[in-house]
Parts: sequence; C-alpha cells; structure tokens
Amino acid sequence: MEQLASIIGWEALKMIVGLIGVLAFVVVNALILTWAERKVAGHMQRRIGPKEVGPYGLIQPIADALKLLGKEILTPRAVDKPLYYAAPMLIFIPVLVSFVVIPFDASLVVKDINVGILVILAFSSLSMFSILMAGWGSNNKYALMGAIRSIAQNIAYEIPILLSLLPVIMMTNSFSLKSIVEAQNGLWFVFYQPLAFCIYFIAGVAETNRTPFDLPEAESELVAGYHTEYSGMRFALFFLAEYTNMFIVSAIAVTFFLGGYQGPFLPGIIWFLLKSYLLVFVIMWLKWTFPRVRFDQLLNISWKALIPLSFINLLITGGLLKL
Amino acid sequence: MTVGEIIFLITIVATLGGAAMAVLSGSIVYAMMGLVTTMFGIAGLYVFLNSPFLSMMQILIYVGAVSVLIAFAVMLIGPLYRKPKEWTTVGKFVAALGVALVSLFMFVRFVMETFGDTLPQGVPLAENPSFEITTKEIGRLFFNNLVLPFELISLLVVVAILGAIMLALFSRGNK
Repeated sequence: MEQLASIIGWEALKMIVGLIGVLAFVVVNALILTWAERKVAGHMQRRIGPKEVGPYGLIQPIADALKLLGKEILTPRAVDKPLYYAAPMLIFIPVLVSFVVIPFDASLVVKDINVGILVILAFSSLSMFSILMAGWGSNNKYALMGAIRSIAQNIAYEIPILLSLLPVIMMTNSFSLKSIVEAQNGLWFVFYQPLAFCIYFIAGVAETNRTPFDLPEAESELVAGYHTEYSGMRFALFFLAEYTNMFIVSAIAVTFFLGGYQGPFLPGIIWFLLKSYLLVFVIMWLKWTFPRVRFDQLLNISWKALIPLSFINLLITGGLLKL
Repeated sequence: MTVGEIIFLITIVATLGGAAMAVLSGSIVYAMMGLVTTMFGIAGLYVFLNSPFLSMMQILIYVGAVSVLIAFAVMLIGPLYRKPKEWTTVGKFVAALGVALVSLFMFVRFVMETFGDTLPQGVPLAENPSFEITTKEIGRLFFNNLVLPFELISLLVVVAILGAIMLALFSRGNK
C-alpha cells in the first residue's frame, strides 16, 4: 500500500479505491433492484414474484447475471462497428462520474468537488449520446426511432431538471453537494421547495427512460428501442446503467430536497440509503401503475407545464431571498 | 512522467483527434461524435487551467445543449447511413484554410491585446494574480462592469427564441 502510494500519490490511490468501491456498489445495487423490481411488480399485480431460487427468491438476480454472462454475444452483420461497440461502454461514464461526487455520509464521498452538482448534470448528457450511438450504430429502424425519441425527450427534460435544482443552489450559495446537505440541518428543502421537488422528480423519472416515460424503449411499439440489437453482457450493461440511473436520480433528490445523510439515531449512510431506496420504490410504483404517455403528451408535459412552473418557482424564490 | 502529465497528454490527443475526426470524417454522425470528443478535451484543458466551473459549463452547454441540438437536427434530415464519402474539393479546402487562419489571427491578437502587458515574462500562470478567477468574480463582473453587454446578449437570445417560435407557428399554419 505504502509503495503503491509512493508511486501514484495518496490522492490518486484514494480515487482508485473509491472507484472500485463505486463499481462494487453499482453491481450490488443493480442486483438488488432487479430483484426488488420483480417483487414489487409481482405484488402490484397480485402475484408473488420470484420465489424459487433461494429464500424469497433472493438468489434470483445472481442466477440471472450468470445466465447473461453465459450467453453468446452476437454482433449483427450490418452494424456500424465502432459506434455499436462503444455505446454500452460509454453509457457507464456518467454513472461512475455521478457516484464520485454523491455524499453517502459526512465523510463517505469519493471526492467533494466544489462544482459537484454541475459534474453530475454535465456528464448526464453523455448517456443520451450513448443511446444515440446505440440506435444509429445498430442499423435497425426500431433502434433508430428509439434514439430519436430519446434525443427529443432529453432536450425537453434537461431544462426542468436544471431549473428545479437552481432554487436550492440559490438558497445554499453552493454547488457542492456536501454543503447543500449541511444547509438542511434544520428543515429539509422539500418543505421550502415542494414544487421544485415535484418538478425534479417527474423530470428525473423521464431522464431515466422509465415508464410512464419509457418511449425510447417502448416494448409494445419498438421491440426494445435502442438496445434491440444487443445481446448478452452488452445488453446487461444497458440494463445495469438504467438501474443505476434510477438510484442516482433518487440520490440527487435526497441530497437536494430530503436532507441527504442527515437524520436522528441511525448513522448517516443508513439514512441516505433508506431515503434513496424509498424514492426508488416510488419510481417502481409509478412504472407499474401508470400507462405509457403518448409522445406529444410527453413533450407537452415538459414544455407547457414543467418549464413554465419551474421558471415561476425560480422567480419567486429569487424574490423571496432578496426580501 | 507523472500521472497528471499523462492525463494532460490524453486530453490534448482527445481535443485534436476529435477535431480531426469532425473535419475529416465522411459520416455526419462520426463528425458529431468528434465534436463531442473535442468539447470534452477542451473541458479537460480548463481543469488544467484551474477553472473547474468553466470546464463544467463547457460540457453542460456545448455537449449537453449544443451537441444534443446538432444530434436532433442530424436525426431530422433523414437516413444517410451508408452514404458514400464526399471528398473535399479544392475550393472547400481553401475556404476552410482561410477561415482557420483568420480566426487564429483574431485569437492571437485578442490574447495579445488583453493579456499582453499583464503577462510578465517568466512568471508561471498560476502565480499571476490576474489569473485567479473564481466563479464569484465571474458573476460579480457580469452584474457590475459587464451588465450592459450581458443584458444585450440575453435580449439577442430572446429575439432568437421569438423568431424560432414565429417560424414554427407560421410553417404549421401553411399546412
């Protein structure tokens, strides 16, 4: 350890250890969430979900992962190879970068950057480019349509996300996620900014491409959308990224509006994970209760409701702060 | 070579390689990806220049907004998946060279005019007080000394938005 640190320096070593921890967390989180998703879906449809493999079906995601690992990785003949290969890898960059700055506990953060939230927001647009590369590179009309929808959706929902986080940034005078959590020592920001919280959560669900906003991969119209032509582990990477994005959206909502790691009695990380997974459960709940919106509805929700509302909210917040 | 120097080299290679890809690639999607790579490279260079805020803004605006809009426009112009490569003609090459030289000249003149006398020889940039620009100072400048140009730019943006809305509305009415 000492020798390694003397070569690359303590700071770099800390980053590497943190990144390995993040990777482990991403995989475990996705395994738990696939199990949870199937259980939630089952109970909402008056079934019981997976129960054969292990107690309560808990080993089921591991069996699924082994099955995906064992599958043949097919590459269709007419794909655009560089784009097709790069897309599943590229979708992981924003996921990893986001985890670097999210504070899990007062001291449990890989690196507290003073422009933390900007890092997450800036890199999140990369996942859209990955979807575009997958859709275009697959040489498949359903994949391409999924990609086009994804771009239109991304343009529409990026704005309300930024505008709904801005009031909180204005109230704390900081881009650092840690100081935003510290600022909620008294009252959580969800009580000051209920509208911003709702707007962020709706737009966040849309950014993760989940039902009711799952138009880029609408199973009933587009086969599987942008990842139609992917199989085996490459498909699994898209899948992992989707589940991790769900967690990230919830984690940012918790950090910005629900007091982050703050809470009585229990240690901070437990509070953070509890709140985050509660929001993840709400996202799943939405998926299994609401039908998919139509495409014009999807765009109208954002341009005609969320964006004007978030502008008004921003103006009111700015006015009240100056009073 | 330290880790920092290696990352710096990678950043430069990404910037130049992306730019070359954007210019030389025959496919418009690859050209767009090259542009995105260049933007990331430039953002990385900003980090090395000690301005993380500017770097993140570079990604947020040029990758998250401008490139996404370009992607949207590319998707609208229809299928050109296996279009044969269009080779550059001499006229295009001369025009590109002219534009590149003029912008380089303007950039060099701008740097000389602005920082020519504030950059004493032999002093590293990091130790020069005029380069310690923080987010706070950028914001303060925008709302004090530069408030008129700032507001004029926002007026320009409003006019552009209104124009776009009018164009969209009129083209819908004609159908």
